[in-house]
Amino acid sequence: MTPVIASLVVGLVIGFVGQRSRMCFVAGIRDFILVRDTFLLKGLISFLAVAWIAFPVSGLVGGTHVGEFGRPDLVSVALTALGGLGVGYISVLANGCPFRQHVLAAQGTAGSMVYLGGFAVGAIVFHAAVYPLLVGWVL
Amino acid sequence: MTEPGRATRTRGGLRVTGLQAGVVMAVAAVVAGAFFAVRPPDAYGICMACHGRDLVAWITNRTAGTRFPVAPVSLVFPLLTTVGVVVGAFLAAVTSGEFRWRRTSHPTRSFVHGFLVMNFALLAAGCSTRLLLRAAAGDWLGVAGVGAMIPGIVLATVWLRRRALR
Repeated sequence: MTPVIASLVVGLVIGFVGQRSRMCFVAGIRDFILVRDTFLLKGLISFLAVAWIAFPVSGLVGGTHVGEFGRPDLVSVALTALGGLGVGYISVLANGCPFRQHVLAAQGTAGSMVYLGGFAVGAIVFHAAVYPLLVGWVL
Repeated sequence: MTEPGRATRTRGGLRVTGLQAGVVMAVAAVVAGAFFAVRPPDAYGICMACHGRDLVAWITNRTAGTRFPVAPVSLVFPLLTTVGVVVGAFLAAVTSGEFRWRRTSHPTRSFVHGFLVMNFALLAAGCSTRLLLRAAAGDWLGVAGVGAMIPGIVLATVWLRRRALR
């Protein structure tokens, strides 16, 4: 149960901090393009930089090392890139990344609550239909 | 909502900058994986899409007898990151006086957005947060995902601005 409790605590902390800061992983770039506002862009960059440092440091101070990822094949790269492109594009249209949508839903935004409904249905449909179809096409 | 460029935003409660939030989230994500066994897979400390999928798929598997895949760490009991985020953000909103019901005029659009983002995120094996986390952990697939996500954000933003100015 350790990972379950840890994930709940992590969720509580980042949910609280995310609400207080309006943190969003797509709005930083969007705001910079639209109005040259760097408030959220700094969050994006600091997240990346701190994680990049914290992964090796946590291994040095007794944490579990991150394993080797190896060289990815071309199909995985293409599918991951397609996924990333879609996440970025639609998240801007949706007015926030998945994390931000959870926070908005929690502070009373009905649109984001509906978004989370689509999120849950999407997960089931992906594994029930989209992924099997995709595997059939690609392989 | 997330109006761009709105500088003043708090009525009360703790003030947290974007930069501070990024630092806290990065540390939480790495510590969860390195010290509290939120793995495998690696770099799985925070993912709003995969952890949500784990929760929904686990419940569906238990109640409807389906066999949807969940991450190894969520096999016995699913990760509760998404639940924690909702509760944490709710507490933050209530204590600061920022909780407010906001109706939507486009529920179908929101549903489709959520549906599509989940599908693209599962295809990439990570929401925007985890793609960054994987890139930071040295996963080249994460780098590819972030490398494609940024042009996706830029394209959508430019398209939105063009539509607004027309």
